[in-house]
Amino acid sequence: MTAQTAEQFDQRTRAALAGLLLAMADDEFVLGFWDSEWTGIAPVLEEDVAFASLAQDEIGHAQALYRLLTEVQGGDPDKVAFGRAPEAYRHARLLDHPRTDWAFSVARRFLYDTADAARLDALAASAYRPLAELVAKLRREETYHLLHMHAWMERLADGGEEPRSRLEAALERLWPDARCVLAGIDDAPLVAAGVLAEPLAAVERRWLGGLAPVLERLGLPLPSTTAPPAAGCRGPERSDDFRWLWEQFTMVYRSDPEAAW
Amino acid sequence: MQVFEVFRREREGGPMQHAGNLLAPDPELAAHYAREFYGRRQESVRLWIVPRAAIRDLDDPDLLQPPFDRSFKKPAGYSTEIKRKLAEARARAGGEGGAGGDAEDDDPVVASGRKGVEQG
Repeated sequence: MTAQTAEQFDQRTRAALAGLLLAMADDEFVLGFWDSEWTGIAPVLEEDVAFASLAQDEIGHAQALYRLLTEVQGGDPDKVAFGRAPEAYRHARLLDHPRTDWAFSVARRFLYDTADAARLDALAASAYRPLAELVAKLRREETYHLLHMHAWMERLADGGEEPRSRLEAALERLWPDARCVLAGIDDAPLVAAGVLAEPLAAVERRWLGGLAPVLERLGLPLPSTTAPPAAGCRGPERSDDFRWLWEQFTMVYRSDPEAAW
Repeated sequence: MQVFEVFRREREGGPMQHAGNLLAPDPELAAHYAREFYGRRQESVRLWIVPRAAIRDLDDPDLLQPPFDRSFKKPAGYSTEIKRKLAEARARAGGEGGAGGDAEDDDPVVASGRKGVEQG
C-alpha cells in the first residue's frame, strides 16, 4: 500500500511517522547551525564557502522536512523549527557537541552524512509517497556532501601527525553518539506500514558495514559494534553547548514570535 | 595551494567561458570549490577546472600586435564587397525588401561597410 497523505495510516503509524520526520528535521537543522559557525574561520577561504554551503543545504533540508511534518500533524513549520524549548528538540546526541576543531567538525559531519545516507536509502521507496519524493531530492544533494567529506577524511588521515591524531581523538569521542543517528525512533510501525524499508538496527548494520572498508583504507580505528547506544539518544537531556546554540538560533524568533517574515 | 582557472557552460549548446579562479591544495578539492563558486546556484551545466600552471600564456606584442596594417586579414572587406554585389543584384531584380534594407542598417558591420564603400 502506498499513501499520498498520512491520514491513510493508522494513528500509531502516523505518530511514528511524525517522530521520524521531527528527528530527521532536527538532525539537519542543528547540524546546519553548528557547521555554519565555520563561516570566516575555515582552513581556507574556499572551504569557508564550501562548508557554509553544505550547512545551508542542511537548513534547506530541515525546512522541507518540517513542512512535511506539519502536513502530517498540522501546525506551522517556522513555529516547530524555532518555537520549542531546548528539551523538545529530537536531534541525535551526536549534534549536542560544539564545533570544537576542524578535525572534529569533519569527523562529525562524515559520521552524520554516512549514517544519514543509510537512513535515506531505507526511505527511498517509502510507502508514504511525499517522503519518498523528498528523499529522492535529498539524496542528490547528499551525493556531493559525501564526496566532500570523504575528501577531507582522506586529507586529515594522511595529513601528518597532528591532523591524524586530532581526527582519531574526534572519532573516538563521537562514536557512541554517532550511533544515536539511527536510534531513538519508533521504527516497528514504520516498517510494518512500508514507510521504512527495514528496522533501524538493520540500517545501522548497513551503515557500519559500509564504513569499515573506508576506515580500514585510511588506517583509522573501527568503532565497537557491541555496545548499543545508551538511553536518551534524542533528548530530552541536552548539553550546555546545545543550549547555547539554541539561544543563538532562536534569538531573532524569540524577540517577536508573531512577526511576519 | 595552487591556482585553478574555472570555465563554465551556462546552458547546453553554449560555449565554455572563463568564470574566474580559485585556490585549492589539489585537483579534487579544486573541483569541489569550483562547484561551490560557479555551480551551486544551478548557474552552470558543465565546468572545466584547469591548473593555471597548465596554461600556455602568450602576450608577446610582436606576435599579437604587429605594427603593419592588417585590415586585409580581416573578413570585413570581403563581406562588404559581397554585400554591395548582393544589393546591386537586388536592385536589378526589382527593388524588393525595403524593410530588409532598413534592418540591415542596424547591423554595425553592414553599416560601417557601406560607409567604407562611399568613402572609397
